[in-house]
Amino acid sequence: MSAPATLSRHQPPWLAALGCLTLLFMCLPVLIVVPMSFSSAQSLEFPPPGLSLRWYAAFFGNEIWAQAGVNSLLLATLASSIALVLGTLAAYGLVRGTFPGKALIEANFMAPMIVPSIITAVALFIVFARLRILGTFFGLVLGHTILVIPYVVLIMQVAIRAFDIRIEHVAATLGASRMVILRKIVVPNLLPSAAAAWIFAFVISFDEVVVTLFLAGTNMTIPKRMFNELIMQINPTITAVATLLIGFNVLALALILLLARGRHLQRSLA
Amino acid sequence: MTTVIHAGEINLARHEWRWEGIGFLAPLFLFALIVFDMPLLIVVFWSFSDPAAGFPSLGSYQAFIESGSYARIIWRTFLIAGEVTIATALLGYPLAYWISRLEQRSQLIAIGIVTMTFWVSILVRTYAWIVMLGNGGILNRWLLSLGLVSRPVEFLYNERGVAIGMINVLLPFLVLPLYAAMRRIDPRLLHVAETLGASRLQIFWRVFFPLTAPALGASMVLVFILSLGFYITPAILGGGRVPLIANMMDLLINKFARWEMAAVNSVVLLTATLAFYALYQRLRGKAT
Repeated sequence: MSAPATLSRHQPPWLAALGCLTLLFMCLPVLIVVPMSFSSAQSLEFPPPGLSLRWYAAFFGNEIWAQAGVNSLLLATLASSIALVLGTLAAYGLVRGTFPGKALIEANFMAPMIVPSIITAVALFIVFARLRILGTFFGLVLGHTILVIPYVVLIMQVAIRAFDIRIEHVAATLGASRMVILRKIVVPNLLPSAAAAWIFAFVISFDEVVVTLFLAGTNMTIPKRMFNELIMQINPTITAVATLLIGFNVLALALILLLARGRHLQRSLA
Repeated sequence: MTTVIHAGEINLARHEWRWEGIGFLAPLFLFALIVFDMPLLIVVFWSFSDPAAGFPSLGSYQAFIESGSYARIIWRTFLIAGEVTIATALLGYPLAYWISRLEQRSQLIAIGIVTMTFWVSILVRTYAWIVMLGNGGILNRWLLSLGLVSRPVEFLYNERGVAIGMINVLLPFLVLPLYAAMRRIDPRLLHVAETLGASRLQIFWRVFFPLTAPALGASMVLVFILSLGFYITPAILGGGRVPLIANMMDLLINKFARWEMAAVNSVVLLTATLAFYALYQRLRGKAT
């Protein structure tokens, strides 16, 4: 697929310049924060006068940050796991089922992604206060689960749609029961996509701020602590936390892409 | 004979799937009902009831309209969202266009960079602007050490600072779908225009741009919707001086305990979001 000569070869220089500058603007946060995190200076000097790992030491040596890290990991693990189970079952029902009101139910599952999270936060705050689970870890898990469910349903729907229903029909005609079909055919085939969906949900939950601020009470998470510190002062430890978060997210993205490629490979081999 | 049995089996299977489909949906349906639908309905209910007595009343809406401060903040939110949307389009469209005309390998690298920024958490991307433009940030330290200014310049903690942060966060939401739409355009259309003697400018404005306009419109509406609900960026880069709807809702809940007013604001923001989302769906239908 080649573009016509007129529009492809002669990209005007100003367009290339504008494109590069905009791309630079998008990357600037990463390009600045990562080198700053290895700075030896107490203040925000750029370029850093010397290199050190002192801010990483400050992060890992601090008990409050460590507790926040444990909470964040536990919260994201629980929320993404519950969402994966509920979301995958629902995606299977949505793709394979035909019944009235299906589009409405699907829209309902997608809604937490579209409704601004501040509204979800306010709504859950009011209801959880009444149910007396405001500020509990359990309430926080519920809030995060509903936020990440749309992403799981979305990814798993695509995966299930790509999986040929005739394979299930053949197994059924060969006498396999529904449970056997699910266990021996559907689940193994969907595993790479499920892993990708889980990682996706995990990252969304791990980075979540707004609903957490409303529901967490005294529970601390990494983004919540980061947000609170930012409001108060400039602390170079945050650059180390930010860099760890960037690394963590990019690693997750790479894993998801790897899993997606594995699935395509499988399909092209089959 | 075997084919007859097969056909029967498949029909039977389809008939069964129909009901099992509902069974698979049930757990999430219940979960969404309890943790999402009911809470939202309760907020709507709260907005229409008297906070003290609990009976139905439009009092909160009356208070909402009579107090000028809510209208002022909502107006500011829409204004900033509009500015951010236009700026994002003005920067994002040329970027997507430039990327879509690069060589295959360069395209992959550029789109990889855009996707990577998309994945860095909003908190981190917002924080970086404090490091760069804050009062004790890099730029101000340079300006001070060069003697160009005698005290730090306030780049942030105003509407401009909030807008810079929001544009930075929202650019990928516009660039990625726009790039995909540009890649879908049949290059033969442009070839035809070329052979018919159209100039480069004519090809762009009369053929290429109209073909990408629905995708541009849809992405702009998406950016606008996302801007309306922004909380983190105005809270950090506005320094409390540029509250948007979301920040006001935070204050109403966590500081003033005016839940009924937070509920009214939720309903207003929700209505605006759903209206623009309907527009987004219509434009997206045209774009594909």
